[in-house]
Amino acid sequence: MLVRRDADDMREIRPRVYRGAAVVVCALVILLVRLYLLQISRGDEYAYQSINNYKKSLFVPADRGVIKDRRGAVLVDNRPSFDVFLTPAFCKGKEKTEVMGRLAQYLHLSPEDIERMQRDYDKAVFSKDKLERFKPHLVMLDIPRDYVDVIEAHRQDLSCVDLIPTPHRNYRPELASGLAHVLGYMSEVSQQELDDHPQAYRTGQTLGRRGLERRFEDDLRGEDGKENVVVDAKGRRLDEATNEMLIPQEERFVPASPGKNLILSIDARLQEAADKAFPGRAGAVVVMEANTGFILAMVSRPAFDPNKMSGRISRSELKEMFEDPLKPMLNRAMNENYHPGSTFKVMTSLAGLERGVIGDHSTISCGGHFSLGGHTWRCDKPAGHGPLEVRRALQVSCDVFYYRLGDMLGLDPIAAMARSFGYGQVTGFDLGTRENAGNIPDSDWVTKVYGFNGKGHAINASIGQGGVDVTPLQQAVAYAAIANGGYVYRPQVVRRIESADGRVVREFGPILAREGRVPAKPESLKVLREALTLVVNKPGGTGYRSRLPDLEFAGKTGTAQVVKLGAKQNNKTDTVKYWSRDHAWFAAFAPADKPEIAVVVLNEHGGWGAESAAPPASKIIRAWADLKAQDALAAEMKGFANQPSTSAQTIPAKAISAGN
Amino acid sequence: MASLASDKRTAHLHWPLVFTTGLICGLGVWNLASASRGALHAVWQLQMMWMLVGVVAVGIFLLIDYRWLSTLAWPGYFLALGLITAVAFTGKKVLGARRWLQIGRFQAQPSELVKIALIVLLARFFARDEEGASKGDYGLKQLLRPFAIILVPVALVMKQPDLGTALVTFAIAMTMIFFAKVRLRSLAVLLVTGAATVTFAWMRLLKPYQKQRVYTFLNPEGDARGAGYHAMQSVIAVGSGQVSGKGWGEGTQNALAFLPEQHTDFIFSVWAEEHGFLGCAALIALYGFLILTALDVAANARDKFGAFLSIGVASLFFWHAFINIGMVTGILPVVGVPLPLFSSGGTSVVVDMVGVGILLNVSLRRFMF
Repeated sequence: MLVRRDADDMREIRPRVYRGAAVVVCALVILLVRLYLLQISRGDEYAYQSINNYKKSLFVPADRGVIKDRRGAVLVDNRPSFDVFLTPAFCKGKEKTEVMGRLAQYLHLSPEDIERMQRDYDKAVFSKDKLERFKPHLVMLDIPRDYVDVIEAHRQDLSCVDLIPTPHRNYRPELASGLAHVLGYMSEVSQQELDDHPQAYRTGQTLGRRGLERRFEDDLRGEDGKENVVVDAKGRRLDEATNEMLIPQEERFVPASPGKNLILSIDARLQEAADKAFPGRAGAVVVMEANTGFILAMVSRPAFDPNKMSGRISRSELKEMFEDPLKPMLNRAMNENYHPGSTFKVMTSLAGLERGVIGDHSTISCGGHFSLGGHTWRCDKPAGHGPLEVRRALQVSCDVFYYRLGDMLGLDPIAAMARSFGYGQVTGFDLGTRENAGNIPDSDWVTKVYGFNGKGHAINASIGQGGVDVTPLQQAVAYAAIANGGYVYRPQVVRRIESADGRVVREFGPILAREGRVPAKPESLKVLREALTLVVNKPGGTGYRSRLPDLEFAGKTGTAQVVKLGAKQNNKTDTVKYWSRDHAWFAAFAPADKPEIAVVVLNEHGGWGAESAAPPASKIIRAWADLKAQDALAAEMKGFANQPSTSAQTIPAKAISAGN
Repeated sequence: MASLASDKRTAHLHWPLVFTTGLICGLGVWNLASASRGALHAVWQLQMMWMLVGVVAVGIFLLIDYRWLSTLAWPGYFLALGLITAVAFTGKKVLGARRWLQIGRFQAQPSELVKIALIVLLARFFARDEEGASKGDYGLKQLLRPFAIILVPVALVMKQPDLGTALVTFAIAMTMIFFAKVRLRSLAVLLVTGAATVTFAWMRLLKPYQKQRVYTFLNPEGDARGAGYHAMQSVIAVGSGQVSGKGWGEGTQNALAFLPEQHTDFIFSVWAEEHGFLGCAALIALYGFLILTALDVAANARDKFGAFLSIGVASLFFWHAFINIGMVTGILPVVGVPLPLFSSGGTSVVVDMVGVGILLNVSLRRFMF
């Protein structure tokens, strides 16, 4: 009975069981279809993803090219150093607090550093992009050697901290301040740049900023190598055996190719001398080869420290620098302009000679002042210089001579002459920054700015005031052209680009900024050269006190008036005094008879050119001459030493140059 | 007599079922050996030990008629309830949940025992319920009692919290109810109530991490390193196995720890990565054979109790296998459900072995009147 009923019941259950079996089969088929899609249809894609999971590409940073001076002395190279990084994903909660506490202690972090570390951590952890927390962020750049030892000793307690060896840029400290604007500095690529050029840059990479570092970034950088390693899910590197098993031989290590070296026309010794000779708080020095346009030395003061800018610099230090009224980031040699003052009188003289308004022996009389239309301009010598010819007018820097000459010439002939020497336009010196073109006023400009063309503008322009603005670099180019007989060169600072093994990749020759000579007769230029020689070497010349006993050089002083500051801009009287003081100029070339270099000194708010700009220029010319003699002697000794049959006691060439 | 009975038992033993189970166990241990390389303790050895415990338990169990289970149904059920209540208070807390009970040196997961206790009790209920059967099918009123039986332990497990186990336990019980005769109207009411319950649970009962799992399931790739990381890595592991797999011990997702919980919940991903589509198809075929065999045993059982027991065991294997594989291949949300006889875990292995034991016992005794 019991059995029978059960059998009946079983008869009812069976169809349900079969239906159940059908459902089971369907469900399992669904799983199989899903597996087919994952493993066969999209298998390649997932296989690739699984490789990407464990394959971590590490960059092998290329050695950045070094920058050398004309004689091969290293100006900028790289030194090994360590950066400290923290990866938020690998330390959380209590561990994070402990690790940060230890880092603060071991690295002597400032409150600002600690705050930034905390902020970076939070930013990564709370980021919408969950990958963010796996990116190591910088805690401290370029840590001192003894910190490295401390970190290494506490490796176990700093699980999420990485010590990354990074070569850092090393700027020769004794040159760093003066040459900083030419060399530039390095800093980490910004988020903005990463977003704009995701292909070109990678996180943590440093890029050249300003100067040659930026201009020749592509040459200096080299090509990073690559190392592929196996990491586990926590990002830890695995042993070599695992590497060999999972990463194909050819992908394991791709060596970096080093960047190219820059050989500059700078002479480090002269650069140092120029930096030392310059007395002012602010200003610039340019020393240029008069017959090629290659820069031998270039100082802009105040400057930043490129070692500091490329390394650890705090936000407050940066802020202080950018708020400094002296603007240390500004390259005064080419990115700022000034009235040239009396140094501009060469242009007025030349325009007068070329237009036939004056002859080289005709005279104009100075009575101590000059009046025009109710306005009176005064000369430095109230009693007046009396009748002057052009050489003497330049030698004593008589203003009235030039007021008169300017009045006779009018504005446009002066402007045309100045432009032909490169004033009023960029020199083409290629540091990758926008150069200041200065300004040369002509009647169009005057009409545009003042509404009408008054005669007074020519009077002001004749002595380099009014609307005349020039850069020290333009002055060097123009004075070099006077010295070399009328060739306007484009200033350059890079002589060669060499590969890491010393092959010349590219060589730069002199480039003329304008075709042919300036539109002035050679005799007229000769008159100028003679006049400028008198300035320094004849009693009564404004530069006479700066003459050198055994080397005749030529030059022109300048004292440029500064626009008076409003009272509200600065309240302290001593600062007002500084900011309203005249700019001191001296533009020179040497030697006077057969010029080789042009030297320009601008001492911002330095006062009299004869007092504050001519003496340092003189010192620089002295240094240049001494170095030249020294080099000639060394070359002679070297030739002597290289002669095979001279004496048994030959002096090794290296010892001599090292002794220098 | 005893030897004769023994011979009969041997002759009528469901050998294909024994071999299939043995094969799955063997592959499971082999796979665990790959998944636990480098771990401090060899998980696969422990797993083998538990399988032996299971084999011994099954051997003893086969000596007695499965109908004895019917008498043990209520005591077993209350014992299981007692244990999960004990867990709720004294259990070992792992990752914010109390799921483990420390017994001497061993840890047991009582929520696994609940499944088998529930299967036995529901089988007894549907086999003996004269009232429902006489009416021809089950209405809502008749379903109140079985629902009470089901929901008490499910609620307790959910409280641990262990959503996966609660869900799979509920699914097994519901499957058994559907195999009983249920009125269509009741079914509709059940679905509506179910939906309402889910909504309520979502709003009131689920912990944020459980909700997160569901969100993650809906869009795993949007959040590759967050909660969706595990699901994504599992899918990568499975997909990267391609046709024939990377080979035993060669799975990088497994060896380099990109796979989470690689010897428990994500054990199938290890298998899929190292043995590919072919290996997966073979394993799914084995589970399919196991489940269909269980249903076949149910269809040919001597009585309703045996049939419902077998249906319970079939759904135990089915739901575990389906949810686990569905979860690691990304078609279901990540909930902690082990793959029968593959995932490491003593309690779960013993429970699965006991399930197979029930099937063997039921199939054995259909010849013995």
